[in-house]
Amino acid sequence: MNRWRAIGAGVLAGAVIGVAAVALAGYGDPATPPPKRPELPPAPRPALVIPPPEGLGRETGLTRWAPLRRPTPARAAPSSAARVLARLSTRTPERTAHPLPVVGRRADGSGRLWLRVRLPILPNGTLGWVPRRAVGGYELVRHRLVVDLGEYEATLLLGDREVFSAPVGIGQARWPTPRGEFIVRNRLERYQSPQYGPVAFGTSARSATLTDWPAGGFVGIHGTDRPDILPGEVSHGCIRLRNADILRLAELMPVGTPVVIR
Amino acid sequence: MSELDLAALDRDGALEEARDGLSRAGFLGTLAATGTGALLALADDAGAAPLRRSDVEVLNYALSLEYLQAAFYTEAERSKALSKRAAEAARVVGAVERAHVKAFSSLLGRKAIARPRFDFQGVTEDSGDFIKTAVAFEDLAVAAYKGQAAKLKSGAVLASAIGIHTVEARHAAWMRYLTGVQPAASAFDEPQTRAEINQVVKATGFVSSAPRTSARRSPRYTG
Repeated sequence: MNRWRAIGAGVLAGAVIGVAAVALAGYGDPATPPPKRPELPPAPRPALVIPPPEGLGRETGLTRWAPLRRPTPARAAPSSAARVLARLSTRTPERTAHPLPVVGRRADGSGRLWLRVRLPILPNGTLGWVPRRAVGGYELVRHRLVVDLGEYEATLLLGDREVFSAPVGIGQARWPTPRGEFIVRNRLERYQSPQYGPVAFGTSARSATLTDWPAGGFVGIHGTDRPDILPGEVSHGCIRLRNADILRLAELMPVGTPVVIR
Repeated sequence: MSELDLAALDRDGALEEARDGLSRAGFLGTLAATGTGALLALADDAGAAPLRRSDVEVLNYALSLEYLQAAFYTEAERSKALSKRAAEAARVVGAVERAHVKAFSSLLGRKAIARPRFDFQGVTEDSGDFIKTAVAFEDLAVAAYKGQAAKLKSGAVLASAIGIHTVEARHAAWMRYLTGVQPAASAFDEPQTRAEINQVVKATGFVSSAPRTSARRSPRYTG
């Protein structure tokens, strides 16, 4: 049995060596073409045209605000032990979201993140700190409204470019329009108050003299039913525009726009 | 997704809960289900066959994830609060994710879903949180692309998806390297279903709603 097995193995080995020799001799011969193999199909052309990576570039004139998500004390320093400057609610008196302009950030000793924000309180220009977790996602704005009290003029900028300008009425001497940096907090329309025109924007600026005014004496930017007395010192502190101008401004200015009154 | 990645996002244990019960339809499903009724021609060839409805759905699903990633890296870059290594990663990867958004939006045209709003709750403003979240997002994207690849009918769309999938895998490896985690420890990456991905993203709370900033109400400003 072992002898037959040895003979069989010898015959098989000889056959394998013979075939290999023939094959190698064939490949070595340049006149012999390589065996044909089926071609693989080409890769399909991608459906998406992917553009090159898009860098942010130089972003100028960008400001941030965030809506308050839960009632929060605003503090004098980024610490839960710091003095409370104001207790902030999640809604404005007009029951819209409460936007806070964000101007800085700092982590406290335990790594908790705080945001420095402009507060809608007197004295105007007060800054305070709120926990990052108390506010929602950041909203970005490229616009800025500049109100020049001396020139009775409002100018809307997009980056460095002027996109709107109009004459305005401002507060009378006894109820002056406050100077400083503020934010457009909300937008009201379709109301039945012709003295405010067709559209009214609320700002975070507050009258320092009309402190007992309903809803806190916030300064608005709105239309009027007395266009004949514009421009000039005509209001209780609000910034009045002709109705055609406020409608044009309303097409351009988003809520959250910083307002500089100078 | 590794335990490390989950821990980065899962401050309240919500993600672990989500992984254990993947039955609810997430927001991505809702988004992807809108506006996909028509067929679209491939963007780079006017004579190409129109896209099937199911491919449009997958593309919109991919776009929703790309929106999430692009917004995350863009906010991180803008925060200027990250370490040098994290900021570099945010800058480079963010530029790529924005290009992906542009490509999907361009192909889908009017059928593209709208960009949602995001609230990243501060993770874009801390280097450690940023990198851990980036690992989670990139792993998620890789698993999501893999989970949908076999469903694509169009070879042209599949070729694009694979091209983006490998880029996301490179991002995942980069972010893992930054955390000191082995970038390629496993021999096989598991795909994840859309329901699984949706649930994880939803549990982060990063997708938010627009704040209500206008009203029909009489002003009470000083006048």
